[in-house]
Amino acid sequence: MLKSTGIPTQKDLETVVPSKERLAKGPVAIMECFEKIPCNPCYTSCKRGAIKEFEDINDRPQLNVDICNGCGVCISNCPGLAIFVVDETYSETEALVKIPYEFSPLPEEGTYVTGLDREGKPVCRAKVVKVQNSKAQDRTPVVAIAVPKELSMVVRCLSLDDYYSDNTIVCRCEEVTLGEIREYIRKGYQTIEEIKRISRCGMGPCQGRTCSQLILEEIAKATGQDVADLKVHTYRQPTLPIKLGLLVGGEDDE
Amino acid sequence: MRIESHPILTFKKGRKVKFTYNGKEMEGYEGEPIAAALHAQGVKVLGYSPNRHRPRGFYCAIGNCSSCLMVVNGKPNVRTCVEKLTEGMVVETQRGKGDLK
Amino acid sequence: MIKTDIAVIGGGPAGICAAIDAAASGARVLLIDRNSQLGGQLIKQTHMFFGSQKQHASKRGIDIPGILAEEMKKYQDKIEVMLDATVLGLYEDWVLTVEQNGKYKKIAPRAIVVATGASERFPAFPNNDLPGIYGAGAVQTLMNVYGVLPGESVFMVGAGNIGLIVSYQLLQAGVKVKGVICRSPKYGGYAVHASKIRRMGVPIMPQHRVIYAHGKEKLERITLIKLDENKKEIPGTEFDIETDVLCISTGLTPLGELLWQIGCEMKFIRELSGHVPIRNEEMETSIPGIFVAGDVAGIEEASSAMVEGRLAGLCCAKRLGFVNPDFDELKQDYLKQLHDLRSGPEGDTIRKGLAKIVI
Repeated sequence: MLKSTGIPTQKDLETVVPSKERLAKGPVAIMECFEKIPCNPCYTSCKRGAIKEFEDINDRPQLNVDICNGCGVCISNCPGLAIFVVDETYSETEALVKIPYEFSPLPEEGTYVTGLDREGKPVCRAKVVKVQNSKAQDRTPVVAIAVPKELSMVVRCLSLDDYYSDNTIVCRCEEVTLGEIREYIRKGYQTIEEIKRISRCGMGPCQGRTCSQLILEEIAKATGQDVADLKVHTYRQPTLPIKLGLLVGGEDDE
Repeated sequence: MRIESHPILTFKKGRKVKFTYNGKEMEGYEGEPIAAALHAQGVKVLGYSPNRHRPRGFYCAIGNCSSCLMVVNGKPNVRTCVEKLTEGMVVETQRGKGDLK
Repeated sequence: MIKTDIAVIGGGPAGICAAIDAAASGARVLLIDRNSQLGGQLIKQTHMFFGSQKQHASKRGIDIPGILAEEMKKYQDKIEVMLDATVLGLYEDWVLTVEQNGKYKKIAPRAIVVATGASERFPAFPNNDLPGIYGAGAVQTLMNVYGVLPGESVFMVGAGNIGLIVSYQLLQAGVKVKGVICRSPKYGGYAVHASKIRRMGVPIMPQHRVIYAHGKEKLERITLIKLDENKKEIPGTEFDIETDVLCISTGLTPLGELLWQIGCEMKFIRELSGHVPIRNEEMETSIPGIFVAGDVAGIEEASSAMVEGRLAGLCCAKRLGFVNPDFDELKQDYLKQLHDLRSGPEGDTIRKGLAKIVI
């Protein structure tokens, strides 16, 4: 529930998501403001008059989706950062989502970021199409990202970590991701030997054949060293998984 | 640690000054509170309480509480969260109530 | 002895607005603040404010002192500002004693607006005095005024607007926020503030309480316990979280020391978060000529503090015979603004509290 988790429910969202027909016509504002609080800058900032005049300053915004053209001026004016613009006509497969983003550094146009849902969970890789940061926006930049169309009502935040890299599996035996390795390095585990012990990378059936190179590169990148200067982990027998019985049985001639 | 870049704020800093903390030379910005300069260098324990000798650090930052009292230039009970840093200040951990000289 | 018509004590949003309106009515005003700059807690607020244009909605808190300072300039011959000055006492003969830069000063005003704001509440749990445990205001001051980070990762106690906003500000400064807890099943702040940090991945955890802080010289770890719907601890649900910073934002309480000193009639009003002075709709206390505005009159938002300040300044000037030509119109406007700001469901508690104290 919104008032215990901060995450709007499907029911909340139904009150603000425009019809399929309207979404098919082009960009439109999604006003995810679900609570009656004393606040009206969205109304005063909309020059098109798409937001109904507030009778009471505590009213929730009422958007006339036929007047709204998705210009997005309201996004940077909303003190609650609760307004987004969605354009489902952006391309055949992708929708454009405009998100207020008050963090530094700003993403660069043309790069890829991770689209986050309303819980902050990574849900897709998204291309940064536009970054608007004008004086009128007064330090609330708006970042437009292209997301898979089916996620147009899911993605509401972004993280500069590249989705695919952080979530990429580096060790398939123990299912360790690049994100986890980065976290270990950040915490101070900066040799592959240490990372092996804390993450089990290199201790699975493949004995590090797929992961050790990737981890070394990651350590090198994070610590500013050359891979050539890094110590490799200790190689121990056996090189492939075997039954203990094989060893216990000893050599034929023993 | 100091904030390197911030999406909303730019920080006006005074000139860099040197001061000593328990005899060790440190740097900070003139005009910032002594405790902020110490904090920027990772010093979190500012003193020890008079009776139970418990470690004390920054708590309210606006001169309301007693958590940040230190000995500054020989004077005890200085509220380091509001007292401004100047060149050459001698800052020391306060243990106990402090003696007025 | 410094003489003036009106002494305004506290240069936050309420005090500045009181000074402006009193001066606009023709009174000479001395505005006293203990800090080196005016603005009170506004100088730490990087977020946009709510409300309407009249209360500078959509402007950031940090920019509002500048806007108000511009307005003050119009009355610069009437308003004198005294900074780095802490009022030590308010005496029965209406003399204010002040410490300013190590000097002792006395002020004799003909009327007073007390706008001293609030202080932070402090929860009791073992080792709550460990370095690394900070009031939310301190974290804001360190981070947003001096640009110094409180630590590596922060756990937030309290999910009212301050707890939620400071969590967001920590994220902006690049600090990891491990979670936000509150005791009740619903957090107290605005949903939009909660959603803002939730979508950055910060868990909001209602029905939790800190029961222990661990660490020798400074904080290393905290123990939390789950609470049932009646805020009772559920035994066996304790768990630990590693963190080097614990930020406390469990609410504010009015800072009414000076009002007590001079003998204003005070009453404990839970809805207004502590002892507040009995007053009339013009913000005048039980002692004629002593007015209040802002958090000292009951904990609310900065937007209403500004309007209360204007109302108190306007009416305080009138008490001394400086009647603004538009007095009635302005007073009605301020009362309406306050009514509007408090009229929604979020204003319920405030309205209940005010009903018990405004005579």
